[in-house]
Amino acid sequence: MTRSTVRQRGIRAALPVIVLTAALAGCSAPGSGGAAQSVEQKDITSKVTPADVDADGKITLTMWADVAEKPLMEKLEPAYEKQYPNVDLQITYKSFDDLVATVVNAANSATPPDVFEGNIGYAVDGALVKGKLVRPLDDVAKVYGWSTGAGSSTLAPAKWNADGTSFGEGTLYGMSPISEVQGIYYDKQKLQQLSLQPPTSIKDLEAGLVAAEKAGQRPIMLGNSDQYAATHIFSDIAATTQDPHSIAEWIDGDANSTFQTPGNEQAAATMHDWAQKGYFGTGYDGLSNEDAVARFAKGDGVYFVGGSWNGASLDPNAFGFGSLVSGGVGATASPWHISTKSKHQNAAIAFLAMLRTPEVAQWILDTGRLPVITDGVTASNPLQEQTLVALRDTIAAGTQVGYYDWTTTDMLSKMGGALQEVMAGRMDPATFTRTVQDVRDKARG
Amino acid sequence: MTATLSDAPVVRTAPPRRRRKARISWWSLLYLAPALAFFGIFVLLPIVASIRISFYDWDGITVASPTGLTNYVAVFSDADLREALLHSLVLLVFYSALPVGIGLVLAGAMSRIRIYGLTVFRAVLFLPQVLSSVVVAVAWREILADDGPLNAALRAVGLGGVARSWLGDFDTALPSIGVIGTWVEYGLCMVLFLAGIATIDRSLYEAARLDGAGPIREFTDITLPALRPQISIALILTITFALRNFDLIWNTTRGGPGTSTTVPSVYVYEDAFQNRALGRASALAVVLTVVILVLVGAVQLALRERPEGSSRGRRGRRARRRV
Repeated sequence: MTRSTVRQRGIRAALPVIVLTAALAGCSAPGSGGAAQSVEQKDITSKVTPADVDADGKITLTMWADVAEKPLMEKLEPAYEKQYPNVDLQITYKSFDDLVATVVNAANSATPPDVFEGNIGYAVDGALVKGKLVRPLDDVAKVYGWSTGAGSSTLAPAKWNADGTSFGEGTLYGMSPISEVQGIYYDKQKLQQLSLQPPTSIKDLEAGLVAAEKAGQRPIMLGNSDQYAATHIFSDIAATTQDPHSIAEWIDGDANSTFQTPGNEQAAATMHDWAQKGYFGTGYDGLSNEDAVARFAKGDGVYFVGGSWNGASLDPNAFGFGSLVSGGVGATASPWHISTKSKHQNAAIAFLAMLRTPEVAQWILDTGRLPVITDGVTASNPLQEQTLVALRDTIAAGTQVGYYDWTTTDMLSKMGGALQEVMAGRMDPATFTRTVQDVRDKARG
Repeated sequence: MTATLSDAPVVRTAPPRRRRKARISWWSLLYLAPALAFFGIFVLLPIVASIRISFYDWDGITVASPTGLTNYVAVFSDADLREALLHSLVLLVFYSALPVGIGLVLAGAMSRIRIYGLTVFRAVLFLPQVLSSVVVAVAWREILADDGPLNAALRAVGLGGVARSWLGDFDTALPSIGVIGTWVEYGLCMVLFLAGIATIDRSLYEAARLDGAGPIREFTDITLPALRPQISIALILTITFALRNFDLIWNTTRGGPGTSTTVPSVYVYEDAFQNRALGRASALAVVLTVVILVLVGAVQLALRERPEGSSRGRRGRRARRRV
């Protein structure tokens, strides 16, 4: 090889580097030059009428929704299109994981959906508010009376300060028509065999666990490979070892609150104790929550500590639901938002308003979820009735604490992973509470 | 195209060689344009963007603020990441060393023994490579589950004490994921090696046999050295697969239990899509890419073709000495 060809090769090899450097230097910072400008959206002063919506002409309202909403949407879509015949609803369904991973980018794109579901907390809703991607809804709440009467407190997690750095109060940016409640599902037949009463507290549960274990049954069916199911049980225990309000304060980001409380340590110790005594059986860390529900439905396990969202796949006559008014995780489900770039705000507001009507509340219950508005809805089976009672009682007691993963975007995996270690006896409760607190400190400063 | 024809003689009458050369390369660029555009938009541009973003603090929405090397400092000072990198090294054994080893043994055996229906056999062994990794993950999750077929088999032969939820146990989760990777990759290695063996001159084997070499000697002295380029390619492919492995882990353990199966790409995903820390995610991705390039480069260097004759000559001398 001659020297000149060597040099030529060198130049050619350097070419990509030169191009790259030029590209790096030539652009402004990422994120500047937004994909699409937001449109001016006037505050409303009266309810949106079909005539208002019709004024927009023939339009398509695009939406992104959690696939769990599909049964509800299948009822809602024809009803909405009948009331607003000029609107064609086009709903894209996403799995929850997929939705929370992509919805912010979609909302930020040049062609965002008009209406979409976010998720409470910093990861999704916080980013949406910070990026001014979702329309403030205070005017809508006022006109439609959302902020008064039953269910008004459920709006709090969708309220944010202006720069999207704290939530719980401030401007309303989203609305969820669906509630969630934690409790103890039980296999009626097995309780009868063990001559146990339906549990209504952690104490009842603990007594049941001892009996079930003695009888050679798997006491609690747990699927913890997704790392969150055990943290929910932890929260139920933690709400009995301290004031649940202090947990809620910690989750909402109160700088004066700490996770390193005797109550949390005690709850972690109890989780370790239960795991070591075999109350969760074996292999729970290798089983997904979904698979665990399926197994429980088939008769594996006496109890399943879970949320109302798990109930749809259980036989309503064979299983019961014990409420835990002492508290634990639970709140409203993912809120619906209106894009600031939507050109069809009347149609979008009409959709959100419809979601929060008593009629739709009944549909929500009929499709296996729990509505925020519980007045006037009737359950169609005993399990649904029990879940509804549990929701009313828990909301009345004011002991729902939200979800730990609202605190920081990585809390779910960090806390979930650490709790797995506690249960396996690889981490002591004090280290666990310190680890969790550190995660929040690192994120919130 | 008519322009080409009329232009061509003009080029020929203008003799300077370099210009003509450049001219030809520009024309070939035109033919390459569609592929180049594709490559540029879907490969180069994202790489450039990643490198750029890695120097910023960015949530993906609001305007990013430049942070210099902060993201890289964070990558190198994070204890969780060091642990994840260690897991990757363990996985290298399972995803790279084992498949290449198994592939060599299988290919060696298959090339010697006449197997009835060899094509079918080969296709079946290659199958894991064809399956989507999500399918592989779901299938293995079932196999390794608490009540899965593996445990059922263990219990059937009286090894119930060993049975466990393989992916849910702190001690077995990482090796279990490793075994899945081995299963996915060995078929690819085997097919590569079989193709390589097919190009070896049969007379070499005959000569070796006449010299009294047994099957193992044949393998180590003829097959193995001849497969050097294939082994190099197999290592490059499997090392890359091992280090950027994400889908298998995400769909089996999500890095758990605890942090026992975390790998760097799990953190890239979490930072990019959950924590919305695109700068840190990009920095980590860049570091990971550099690590892969360095390792792959090292493999290429170690297994590069020696200059003509030297290795063959040595082999020849050794064979002679044996006689």
